[in-house]
Amino acid sequence: MNVSVFITPVLIILLLIYCAKKKVNCYNTFASGAKGAISLCLDVLPFLVTIFVAIQLFRISGLAETTANLFAPVMEVLGIPKELTELMIIRPFSGSGSLAMAEQIFSTYGADSYISRCASVIMGSSETIFYVATIYLSQTKAKRLLYAIPVALIATIISSVVACLLCRVM
Amino acid sequence: MRKIWFFMVLASLVTLLFIDPEDSINAMMNAGADAVTLTIRLLGIYAVWLGIIALVDACGLSNKIATLLDPVIDFLFGKTDNNTKKYLALNMSANILGMGNACTPTGLKAMEGLDKQNNSSTASVAMIMLVVINATSLQLIPTTIIGLRQQYGSTSSSDIILPTIIATLISTIVGVLLVKLCDKFYKKHKKDDKPKQDYPSTKNKILKNFFTSKNAQKGKCTLSNTQKNQPNKIVFKDNKK
Repeated sequence: MNVSVFITPVLIILLLIYCAKKKVNCYNTFASGAKGAISLCLDVLPFLVTIFVAIQLFRISGLAETTANLFAPVMEVLGIPKELTELMIIRPFSGSGSLAMAEQIFSTYGADSYISRCASVIMGSSETIFYVATIYLSQTKAKRLLYAIPVALIATIISSVVACLLCRVM
Repeated sequence: MRKIWFFMVLASLVTLLFIDPEDSINAMMNAGADAVTLTIRLLGIYAVWLGIIALVDACGLSNKIATLLDPVIDFLFGKTDNNTKKYLALNMSANILGMGNACTPTGLKAMEGLDKQNNSSTASVAMIMLVVINATSLQLIPTTIIGLRQQYGSTSSSDIILPTIIATLISTIVGVLLVKLCDKFYKKHKKDDKPKQDYPSTKNKILKNFFTSKNAQKGKCTLSNTQKNQPNKIVFKDNKK
């Protein structure tokens, strides 16, 4: 058992106790808050469909793999094992896709191998950038994000390089 | 974003014409169905979290967190109204605590507030900052991955926690620094030649996305520069003393 599994439930318990102390009507407040999810999801859905179509086509056409192979030498220079390039390309687009890929890496190389540990750290320290950007923009009038995505990508690549370095040392 | 999408779909469809044209339309339909399933699952998750967040708000805790994180928020997002500040604070604390599913609803609420202030078709710095912070993830304990490692017979499944924390901190710090840097650069650019449309920036965006590898090196340079500069400054100050 991990300590981290206790964080969220304990926080919620503390929150409930605090609410009781402040005499908040928990039942009604919770329900009215939950109601907001409906409009939220209705706003998000069209954008999710749009981005999912692109991701699915990108993967099924084999372009993801081609791009991965293209970038493999560059990644090698940066110290990232070439087995991880496809994971790194899929990661910004799809959480479940990259998780499946990580599983594949675990099963082929063993969970304690250097490559698997690199994959774990990369997975843990990065996010599905395009998905986040899509969802966040779905709520706004502003549709142009300027440099947000490149910046996030650069930051993720740098952290991945560091992650592989750390895995070698630690 | 729209350009990346356009090129991704176009290139994929053209490639599929040669490999498996039948599959392309199937894939698109499946993707749509996947998106709907995900949204329905998200609806449940968001509902629970928004309920909890409503509780946090009702008992006045969110105000307390907001005042606690006030200096950080001021530095990252500049001036915002109280309500937005509250959601920004909740979003950041959810990020740090690794409650990934709680980040999105709070972040979206904050985004709405920032958007109202901004009131233009181009995102403001604060909005970009919010997206970058959430896209670089501040999750400290990667529970899913640890579970997966255990499942695949790892003997020390949690030894990746420390490297993950370091890597995630680095990605967020680099992200924040780059946003600040880009903002300065962008503002200068705008003052210089006041373009009717901001073509240079969109061009850069495409270039950057197609040559991420090149930029990785560039980004690395700026990072090492800033890292080098800061210790130097401190050394100089010490010498003066």
